[in-house]
Amino acid sequence: MAGHSDSSSSEKKSSEAMNDVPTYSAENLQNNMKVIYYSRTFMSIIGGVLAGILGFTGFMGFVLYFLVMAITSIGLIAKAKFSVHAYFDSWNRIILDGFMGGLMSFVLFWTFAYDIVHIF
Amino acid sequence: MAEDLVLDTAIRDWVLIPLSVVMVLIGILRYFVSKLMRSSQVPDPKIVKEGQVIVRARNLRAGANFIPPKSFRSRRVYFNNEENGLLFVPKGQAQNAQAQMFSDPNMAMDMMKKNLSMIIPQTLTFAWVNFFFSGFVAAKIPFPLTQRFRTMLQNGIDLSTVDVSYVSSRSWYFLNLFGLRGLFSLILGEENATDDTQRMMQMSGFGFDPTKSLGAEKDGLDIVQHEWALPKFEHRAEAVLKKLIR
Repeated sequence: MAGHSDSSSSEKKSSEAMNDVPTYSAENLQNNMKVIYYSRTFMSIIGGVLAGILGFTGFMGFVLYFLVMAITSIGLIAKAKFSVHAYFDSWNRIILDGFMGGLMSFVLFWTFAYDIVHIF
Repeated sequence: MAEDLVLDTAIRDWVLIPLSVVMVLIGILRYFVSKLMRSSQVPDPKIVKEGQVIVRARNLRAGANFIPPKSFRSRRVYFNNEENGLLFVPKGQAQNAQAQMFSDPNMAMDMMKKNLSMIIPQTLTFAWVNFFFSGFVAAKIPFPLTQRFRTMLQNGIDLSTVDVSYVSSRSWYFLNLFGLRGLFSLILGEENATDDTQRMMQMSGFGFDPTKSLGAEKDGLDIVQHEWALPKFEHRAEAVLKKLIR
């Protein structure tokens, strides 16, 4: 979960007060998005295994998924040192992106771990 | 809800775990095989040139506000004028991409290879699963579902009395096929990120016309509202310096 800083992060902060011209490096932004995607996938797999081993069924598992995703978001925000606009162009990127993408992995690993531990 | 089925632990040891492991290994194998089979074709210089022109025009559009109005206008004319602008494509000169594709057998070959490296392992795995593991319950998903999902999850079992949350081995294969994509992107890196669905999309947009994107870029450049950002930057610099002094 490495966060690559935008090279113009310090400049960016000061311009927040101004009516800001978007000064983002597209490559850095893309890299940041990729980091988000990877960390979300990773966390959804870990969360799935966790839910399976703990034996969550039904609604509880999905609650755990949302919890894990929220934790990931908070972790990412903390990684961005709480100045999200230095790294991303909107809040949606850090909070919503890849939210549903990890669900399939989560369900698979949830099922897998649950079956191995509890069913047989 | 029906009473819980008792599943043999042998199913876990000899079906569930091997099937998942095999799916992961086959995914990795497929990645490397398709990497080996990828032929490095020499790109057509004309297409590369057009692509570079598009990149330059896009850069101009992105950085439009950082250059003075006069510079921006002269650059825009350089790209867009109707006589010899770089983005201007005379009518009728646009060549048919479809015809070009057929004239180049390498391209079709490459596409076929990509297709084959995708389809063959899937067919083989499916046949293997069908042959060895067909017709019994292998897993149970830990959340309830409605009857609609029966055909999806109990593919290969024709019993209507089994609870829907039990998954047949064949359907477990399908679940793996879709759910492991995230894992692959983690262990194989970003190159695998262009997964099957995206590859399909690329294929459907295969016969795309470079002159069309030139035209689109031209239109985009035409409608840019130029507003020079530098006058405002003095205020910004002032703010930064004030902060430093404090």
